[in-house]
Amino acid sequence: MIEREVIVTNRAGLHTRPASMIVRLASQFRSEFFIQKDDYEINGKSIIGVMTLAAEQGATLILQFDGVDEEAAAEALALLFEDGFGEVK
Amino acid sequence: MVKGIAVSPGIAIGPAYLYARVSFDVEKRSIDSKLLKNELVRFEDAVRRSERDLKKIISITREKLGENSVTIFEAQMLMLRDQSLYPEVVSCIENSRVNAGFAVQSVMTKHRRMMEASGSEYLRERANDLLDIQDRIIRHLRRGRILSSVDENSIVASENLTAADIILFSRRGILGCVTDFGGPTSHVSIMARALHVPAIVSTHGITNEVKSGDILILDGITGEVIVNPDEETLAHYVNKRERYSRLVQEDKALVPLPAETLDGHHVGLQANLELREELVQLAEYGAEGIGLYRTEMALLMEGRALVTETEQFSQYLEVVQAASPAATTFRILDLGGDKMLPMGNREHNPFLGWRGIRIMLDKMELLVPQLRAMLRASAFGPVRILLPMVSSIREVRSFRAIMDKTMEELAAEGVAFDPKVPMGVMVEVPSVALAADQFARETDFFSIGTNDLTQYVLAVDRGNDLVAHLYDEMHPAVLQLIQMTTKAAKAAGIPVSLCGELATNMRAIPVLLGLGVETFSASPIYLPGMKRVIRAMKLSEGQALAKKALIASDPAEFRAVMDKWLEEHACGVSFFLDGKHSA
Repeated sequence: MIEREVIVTNRAGLHTRPASMIVRLASQFRSEFFIQKDDYEINGKSIIGVMTLAAEQGATLILQFDGVDEEAAAEALALLFEDGFGEVK
Repeated sequence: MVKGIAVSPGIAIGPAYLYARVSFDVEKRSIDSKLLKNELVRFEDAVRRSERDLKKIISITREKLGENSVTIFEAQMLMLRDQSLYPEVVSCIENSRVNAGFAVQSVMTKHRRMMEASGSEYLRERANDLLDIQDRIIRHLRRGRILSSVDENSIVASENLTAADIILFSRRGILGCVTDFGGPTSHVSIMARALHVPAIVSTHGITNEVKSGDILILDGITGEVIVNPDEETLAHYVNKRERYSRLVQEDKALVPLPAETLDGHHVGLQANLELREELVQLAEYGAEGIGLYRTEMALLMEGRALVTETEQFSQYLEVVQAASPAATTFRILDLGGDKMLPMGNREHNPFLGWRGIRIMLDKMELLVPQLRAMLRASAFGPVRILLPMVSSIREVRSFRAIMDKTMEELAAEGVAFDPKVPMGVMVEVPSVALAADQFARETDFFSIGTNDLTQYVLAVDRGNDLVAHLYDEMHPAVLQLIQMTTKAAKAAGIPVSLCGELATNMRAIPVLLGLGVETFSASPIYLPGMKRVIRAMKLSEGQALAKKALIASDPAEFRAVMDKWLEEHACGVSFFLDGKHSA
């Protein structure tokens, strides 16, 4: 299992479009994927889950991957966060 | 005949299809353990069909409205096979041994409740998406195929429709749609116009009047719906439909031509918009900028009162860039009146109550972020700011002071904006028209809102059937106020435009130009037709007609004058002004 800490950098936070992007990207990997925010943990492959995080700009999240392709999954998802989902920062 | 509000022009004739868009309440049934497998197959099948619906919706939306508009539907698509929802429904069917419909309903309801109970307005709004897919799956479970029963050549009659419904229907090639509820600026009306589907809303009960299979005529120009017409009426509308489609073809040729009278006076034709989905229409219909950008819709769609400055800025930026080099006129949030108040206040007389600028001057937490977002957008293209529901000069001064202070703050933060952003007022309360010379000295432009101006001058609520016949936007008293406004504007050297429904009324256009209106702003789809009238007249003729209109004591008589004039001048558009009786 590996963990990555990321920060939500795009201004609008994890609203519908970024949430969809996360779920779609994560679903391409076989590893299990969870996101932790404060004391809260959700399944990162569930759009309902990611939406209920309601993470705003500046929020710190822990991404947790477990499975055969965890390295690649962590790399890809971390990059998506860094990139601010292609939105205005 | 049933009358509603025409929101997307065109004539549709065909059989009615009654579409029930109500949330189903599914009964709980126990399932024999031998049949559980069958129930799981039914569930998977309904999910697959729902995916197919959404795929179509997404592809049409992308094609017609652009990439930005598909987000919501893509999220709904992901919800269908959500890793927490889907397995939960499956285990509910298996463990509780219940029918698939009931399992879908109870699992989704549980999640929806959680989202609704959260403090976040955003999540409460997303709960509606969940309800949308719950309905979709259950409808598929119930009737196997729902949409395939909407016949290609039918007219959909429904209590209400969502944007997704109308997108899918247009793909099925329906002829038109008519609803009990909704307004001209509701999302479904905007979609209908974008997709060129004739539509009438707010009929107050069309679904009680028709059965599936009844023949319907929708007149998307006058808002009339005729149920099971006689042969003569049918023939009339078949003819009207042909002539209308010819007219639309001819109108297309007008788009690149200037809006100029025969004696060489240029008339500004601008767009009334409220969603970014509509921005493509600026070029499609030849609008010279945005005369009225309503900010309520984007806010209500987000489902919360306080859209952040950043979110507003990114919306406004997109709008300004689409309209540039022409100007965008942003109207400050106009809540109250008939528009829902997010604060949940109820008033006895909302049209005379807390609305428009009155709310905003009391609610700095709403006004300041919006104003900052508008000013920031002004760094990227010409912006004008318009104040709604102003009744006294004090409000203008208060607003000006806030705007000056906001500009100072932005400058101190090093944020770019245009320090000369014009500030104008809506002329919709009669006091502004009556004291127009005073207002003209302290504002940079006027925008006449004829709908509210008429209701305030005549003291008529046109939504009230008992008095609606007294509502007349061409009443001499209304026209006089318009003239006072244009005169004051001219004397002070400030621009004046008119953005009410009256601008799209062919009978009114010559009169309004004669009264001194320089610019019209309307839903883009109407602009080519307006241009047709403008290009067929001389300003001097408009002035002569205006003189008559200002003293016309009988509205019917004056309508006849205008009909005759239009028949002679404007290539037969008068045929389209009314229903059967004016033909």
